Amino acid sequence: MSQPKQTGRDGITRRGFLTGSGLAAATVGTLSSTAPAALDPSSAATPIAFGPAPVRLAFTVNGRPVQVQVEPRVTLLDALRNYLDVTGCKRVCDRGTCGACTVQVDGRAVYACTLLAIEARGKDIRTAENLAQGDTLDAVPAAFVRCDAQQCGFCTPGFVMALRAALDKNPRATVAELEQAVAGNICRCGTYEQMRQAIAQLVRKEG
Amino acid sequence: MAEGWPKQRQVLGSKVPRLDGAAKATGRARYTYDINRPGMLHGVMVRCPHAHARIKAIDTTATRKTPGFRALTLIGASRDVVITAIDGNKLTCTPAGKKKAPDERISIEVGEGVTLIKNLKVVTLRDIQPGDRVTIEAEQWVIGRELFYAGDEVAAIAADTEEHARDAARALRIDYEVLEHVVSEDEVLKDRKKRTVPAPSNFTEAKGATQGDVEAGFREADAVVEATYGVPVISHQCLEAHGLVAEWTAEGGLTVWASTQATVSTAQQLAARFGLPAAKVNCITHYMGGGFGSKFGPDVQGFAAAELALRAGAPVKIMLDREGEIVAAGNRPSAIGTVKIAGKKDGTITAYAVDCYGTPGYTGGATVNLNLLPYVYSDAIANWKRSHAVVYVNAGAARAMRAPGHPQNCVLTEFAIDDLAARLNIDPVIIRRKNLPPNNPKAPPNSWAARRNTIYNEQIDIALQLSRWKEKWHPPGKGNAQGPLRHGIGMALHTWGGFAAAQPNECYVIIGRDGSIIARTSTQDLGTGQRTVTAVVVAEVLGQNPASIITEIGESRFGLSSGSGGSTTCPSQAPAALRAAQAARDDLFKKVAPKVQADPKDLAIEAGKVVDRKSGRSWTWKEFCARLGMEEARGRGEWSLGIANEPGNENISSGQVGGVQVAEVTVDVETGLVRVQHLVAVQDCGLVVNRLTCESQVAGGVIMGLNYALFEECIRDRATGRQLNADMEFYKLGGLGDMPKITVHLQDMPERGVIGVGEPPVISTAAAVGNAVFNALGVRVPFLPLTPWRVLQALAQGGKVS
Ligand code: FES
Ligand code: FES
Repeated sequence: MSQPKQTGRDGITRRGFLTGSGLAAATVGTLSSTAPAALDPSSAATPIAFGPAPVRLAFTVNGRPVQVQVEPRVTLLDALRNYLDVTGCKRVCDRGTCGACTVQVDGRAVYACTLLAIEARGKDIRTAENLAQGDTLDAVPAAFVRCDAQQCGFCTPGFVMALRAALDKNPRATVAELEQAVAGNICRCGTYEQMRQAIAQLVRKEG
Repeated sequence: MAEGWPKQRQVLGSKVPRLDGAAKATGRARYTYDINRPGMLHGVMVRCPHAHARIKAIDTTATRKTPGFRALTLIGASRDVVITAIDGNKLTCTPAGKKKAPDERISIEVGEGVTLIKNLKVVTLRDIQPGDRVTIEAEQWVIGRELFYAGDEVAAIAADTEEHARDAARALRIDYEVLEHVVSEDEVLKDRKKRTVPAPSNFTEAKGATQGDVEAGFREADAVVEATYGVPVISHQCLEAHGLVAEWTAEGGLTVWASTQATVSTAQQLAARFGLPAAKVNCITHYMGGGFGSKFGPDVQGFAAAELALRAGAPVKIMLDREGEIVAAGNRPSAIGTVKIAGKKDGTITAYAVDCYGTPGYTGGATVNLNLLPYVYSDAIANWKRSHAVVYVNAGAARAMRAPGHPQNCVLTEFAIDDLAARLNIDPVIIRRKNLPPNNPKAPPNSWAARRNTIYNEQIDIALQLSRWKEKWHPPGKGNAQGPLRHGIGMALHTWGGFAAAQPNECYVIIGRDGSIIARTSTQDLGTGQRTVTAVVVAEVLGQNPASIITEIGESRFGLSSGSGGSTTCPSQAPAALRAAQAARDDLFKKVAPKVQADPKDLAIEAGKVVDRKSGRSWTWKEFCARLGMEEARGRGEWSLGIANEPGNENISSGQVGGVQVAEVTVDVETGLVRVQHLVAVQDCGLVVNRLTCESQVAGGVIMGLNYALFEECIRDRATGRQLNADMEFYKLGGLGDMPKITVHLQDMPERGVIGVGEPPVISTAAAVGNAVFNALGVRVPFLPLTPWRVLQALAQGGKVS
């Protein structure tokens, strides 16, 4: 690997992130560098490899630019929870079957446990914490509170984020579309009846 | 006799959104899983991969060399001892503590793989002398340890990151001698002498009881039906895993953040383990992600986290991964029973006999509530017989799960009733009404015993109406068919206690001179809405808005409370809050009255103001509280079953409830797919504190019951003895799209006081769905869950019910 070119605050340019991201999944753990990985952002022809040592990454979380140094095997979920103390996304199944870890990545609803943190470089990550600014509560959690669409609440940020992403995509989404948006989310306390009421209210108010 | 619930109610019984709703829905609420402490280490459990094995050898060298490794503890390898002699590096000691066997001598050579702990510190040989009490953990002491299921805990390891902790766990070398295992009940039944568990054999002879003359009951009947029904082992699947974060304080105290249903007992258990005064341990559970009966103490991983934190000198967090959660943190036991039921054309059940068994895993007790079989109707059935045998298998031990034994009882009774009704050619509601337990005219007038027959009949009326039973019911298998779809409707009844807990529950209310109100209790809110319940009660008494009450809950240091089991929390804590608020109000009046030249007896709270009834003067709440000057007003409230049972207190809290549920289904006879279309739940709930969260509890119970009915089952592989679906993809739980419309009807009876309803609504759902499927097909699908495969199999066999 060639010398890193000093570009940007952490030595990695945004362009470097983008060229690297497509390859990241395929190259995880293939390199034996022990120093934090040095990336050559200038040549798309140079395969970029990471790890096993920690890699420095940057992305934005709820509008705030953050940097984190994690091993390439660390999921976005664990990077957020264990390294950045952003815990609104919950870890339940840790393999893409419950939806509790749902976050928005560049606006799209994504299970944060199914994405490696390195794949999120340069991206805009939004978690449920983003849905409250001071005393103002976003329409989705507000409807959940009104209808009591939560009990223990451990699944709730995941449902809320899935609905938020669906409504961002289409503010006029129908009940059926919103139900579809949370089809991959599981609630053990059984809050679905109240959630249907919340969804009905969200559709009437158009998100 | 305590001052009761206010007669005029402003907030009590209304719909109050939960106070922590916004914090939870926006992910700002910190659950145990979300706690990150400065310098915190991550711990993982190492589990036995075999269903039955003995440890032959262990080598921790590689583990200790992995990057970031900080501490390791071997489960079952430590002993508390008193040193009797030290010779070089050889220690001689005797066991310390209660189990002291005075003649027993333990000798051990201190070297690699031996850890010495004295006064909660890791020490070396130099630091100890004869007479010292120390804890010794020696690797060699795990050699020979027998492990009874795939998932049994072997070790716990802490490292600087979770990734490193997993690497360190992988590096642990353990040689096992693999022993014979059994994971299915039927294999044990084939060879009852088999022994692969701690008990003398895997099969324990049945225990039972009889009333009346069962054979005579069968003879006098117009119809007799015999069939075998069953429910499988299922998993609690709490979304927040079991686990805790342990942090030793500079003063030698221990703070834990635990995902628990019992802050007080978790703290007490840890204090006992480490020889600390209970006051030096604080267990914090501000938010909790579901327990359902499976989270009542530190558990193996909790003690291990505290051990590791001690050794590493840093906070340690251990939360179970999903597989560990499912295999090791409890399950609901199975129940399979052969039932013979007999009845007359008028619906009278003349005899009921059940012979059942089930498995609680490798250890534990009965898997049904045997004393309540036949279920609901036992006091009306003259002749019955019941027996239950425990079958041990090599799987994790069962734990209480939302109304332990009752869903099993309900299936073993309610399935039989509908099968009998079909044989008698009558509507099963006739049998239910005919065999309801009678009212006892001698019992106190508001008690369950005095009113149960009336309550059930009313509930059945309501359920029939809400489900439009009269127009929808048809003889089994005789409904209208729409292509491959068959329609069916079914009913089931349940009962539950919901009394206050036997242990004392405290609540403290503090009124500040700025008018602020703190309600403080150690109890925990598992998602039941207990935090809001406390605020509603205090707000009612003090004439305030519930949202203005500052609730401080979920820390063991806040006082006494019992574990949240048996639906006891609301009926214990709501009265404790009531009394605390009343006492704080009285203290406020007493302290301020002289300053406003009033008699405390004339003061009252009306519409948020304090009024002097004698002079007609009034003060706003803030004005009045400001007169406290440098003081604050305080009140303590306590409640327990003993207090509830004192004469005159039965209107404050009581217990025993009934419920009726009706399910309407369509079954596709080509694919075997069951869809529940509508579920009606009528629930007796005494005095409702918060209607919004109470309805949520009932609907949530129903949804859990629907999961039991349609999806849930732990599947264990006979060959390897491992659970095949210790996950969330093959252990199926329903999503929003799987759920029917749910109609909840709360049958208020304020005169009965507060009664817990967390458990009852889960009980009868699966039985009602099973009966609806029978009504649709005319064929019994005898085992839950009602998967397409089981439905098709039952159809193919024509539902062999002899
Ligand atoms: S934790 Fe990511 S989908 Fe379950
Ligand atoms: S509210 Fe508890 S899991 Fe959904």
